[in-house]
Amino acid sequence: MRTLVAGAALIVLTNAVALSGVFVNRATEAESRVTLSERELSLPSGDFRQRENSGLALTLLWRVLDQEAADPDYRYAYHGGQPAWLDAAHLSTLGFDTSPDDASPEARRRLLRQLPRQVLLVLELEGPAWQQALVRARENAAREHAAALANPGSEPFAKRAEASRERLGFEETHASRLFAIDAGLDLAALRSRYPDRGRYLILRGSVRPTVRNHNGAQHLSGQVSELAIPEINVPFALRPVLEPLRQIPRRDAARQPPRYQVRLAIGQRLEAWIESVTALPAP
Amino acid sequence: MTSDRKTHLPARSEAQRRADEISVFQAELERLEAEGVLILPAAQRQALAAHHQSLLAGYARDFDIDRDARARHLSLGMRVTSFLGALALAASVFFLFYQFWGRFPETAQVVILILGALGSLGLTVWIQGRDATGYFTRLAALVAFACFVLNISMIGQIFNITPSDKALLPWAAFALLLAYACDLRLLLAAGILCLIAFVSARVGTWGGVYWIYAGERPENFFVAAALLLAITGLTGDRKTSGFAALYRVFGLLTAFIPLLILSHWGEISYLDLSPKLIEGGYQVAGFAVSALTIWVGTRRGWPETVNTGITFFVLFLYTKFYDWWWELMPKYLFFLVLGLTALLVLLILQRLRSVDRSDPKARP
Repeated sequence: MRTLVAGAALIVLTNAVALSGVFVNRATEAESRVTLSERELSLPSGDFRQRENSGLALTLLWRVLDQEAADPDYRYAYHGGQPAWLDAAHLSTLGFDTSPDDASPEARRRLLRQLPRQVLLVLELEGPAWQQALVRARENAAREHAAALANPGSEPFAKRAEASRERLGFEETHASRLFAIDAGLDLAALRSRYPDRGRYLILRGSVRPTVRNHNGAQHLSGQVSELAIPEINVPFALRPVLEPLRQIPRRDAARQPPRYQVRLAIGQRLEAWIESVTALPAP
Repeated sequence: MTSDRKTHLPARSEAQRRADEISVFQAELERLEAEGVLILPAAQRQALAAHHQSLLAGYARDFDIDRDARARHLSLGMRVTSFLGALALAASVFFLFYQFWGRFPETAQVVILILGALGSLGLTVWIQGRDATGYFTRLAALVAFACFVLNISMIGQIFNITPSDKALLPWAAFALLLAYACDLRLLLAAGILCLIAFVSARVGTWGGVYWIYAGERPENFFVAAALLLAITGLTGDRKTSGFAALYRVFGLLTAFIPLLILSHWGEISYLDLSPKLIEGGYQVAGFAVSALTIWVGTRRGWPETVNTGITFFVLFLYTKFYDWWWELMPKYLFFLVLGLTALLVLLILQRLRSVDRSDPKARP
């Protein structure tokens, strides 16, 4: 009997602690609230893991604007990356030991020995970072097109021009517009720098130290590696909008616009939840 | 079978031990009588036999002990079957929930999860009161543990809660509660593993590391190892259930495995020194700690400690031999050296055993 009472108390207490955290997160005004589309919140891919899972969670797709503009990879939208802003000075503000502050072999060795840290990531929706990615894609497409014109009859040039056009289309209509643009440890300080709560989300993520090769030189740098909560559960009441779409994979990325939009709220504990889901009209 | 006797479950292992000792005593008595060394008077012999029969009948009735070798073999099979069955049932509970949880609103999901954990706990306690063998209790207890783990992890998933190492603490507490209440080493192992993960993650977090990556610094496990070995020292040797031995084995594994890893990959150490120096240091530490483990285990009469120490001593030795000689020596010579080293270890252990035998204080 004592086992039953003690075990039951443990179960109830643990659930109470977990659920009170949820209550605290959602009780007051949301820390931020944004409207995202299928570009930023994608349905599960329907692989074998989903076959026996009746739940539904949307994957948050986010990006970083890579420092290397020469040959950007537009296909990925949810892996981390090495943003230009995450340099040695910024890493030291996140608690990494970057001394001596140069890219000497000793500094590189000391930095790379350090393990990832949890930080607060600022994600910007449809802001200057995305605009810059668009500009890069357009410039790249124009450059490749010009190269193809200058080399008439060359199949490799023609293929590269075609690929860059497709990448531009992908960037314009499909790729995520959510970019990690800053990181810090103090929520209040970050929010004072990014006061627009409808455009800037602050979420927990992790940063891993790394070294960047640039023009033959090596620089201390950081990699935004992951979000603490990469998937957002869809509440039961909001699933009817998404369930029919789940069965139909999104067609050619460059040609089909997003099919739904989602109102996402981030609470006081920086934990997200979905407030509404709206189907978007087909073109 | 009475439920009040079942509530004092360590008594079952005591009863089994007593039954085994009676069996050994009877065999030796028969041998002594056959050799004419000891012949008991008929009355004494009958009284002794009656006493033993009465004891064994009582144990068999109350605790369903193994009375002979055949029963022991079947018992082993039942233990394995109950372990595999428990794993399969735990997996089944997990996949059952995944298959259907999306069909219910969040409130119902939470209620189902909590009731599932409470119900499986209640079922375990109910079965414990009726299961003399303990096999069915083990099965139910592991399912109850799986339900509680599923409960907390799914609450996290439903409400998008940031993953935290703190969840490991109630899981450990729950597993340990079931282990001690139902005398289940399987649940004790589960609880110890949760504790190891929690302590290592905490130690990593204090160093600024995101807790998920704490395992990348093997030194984080040393604190957990020290705690487990200290628990053994504080609680003493609970001979009734073999729990102390399990704490010791897990404590030693939690120390030896990181030592072995660090003795080969110095770069992943906290120590900001040359990797070669770190590896050398941990190799020496590995040999010293395994030798100390063998010595302590021999002095205290802890066979599992001695065996763990010997296993890792040989592992440290063989991995060093591999580093030094695998490329240099012809393979026949390399394996000959390994074989001769094994012989040397055997001779040392034999000597240690004879010294131990001559020193009555060293015996438990």
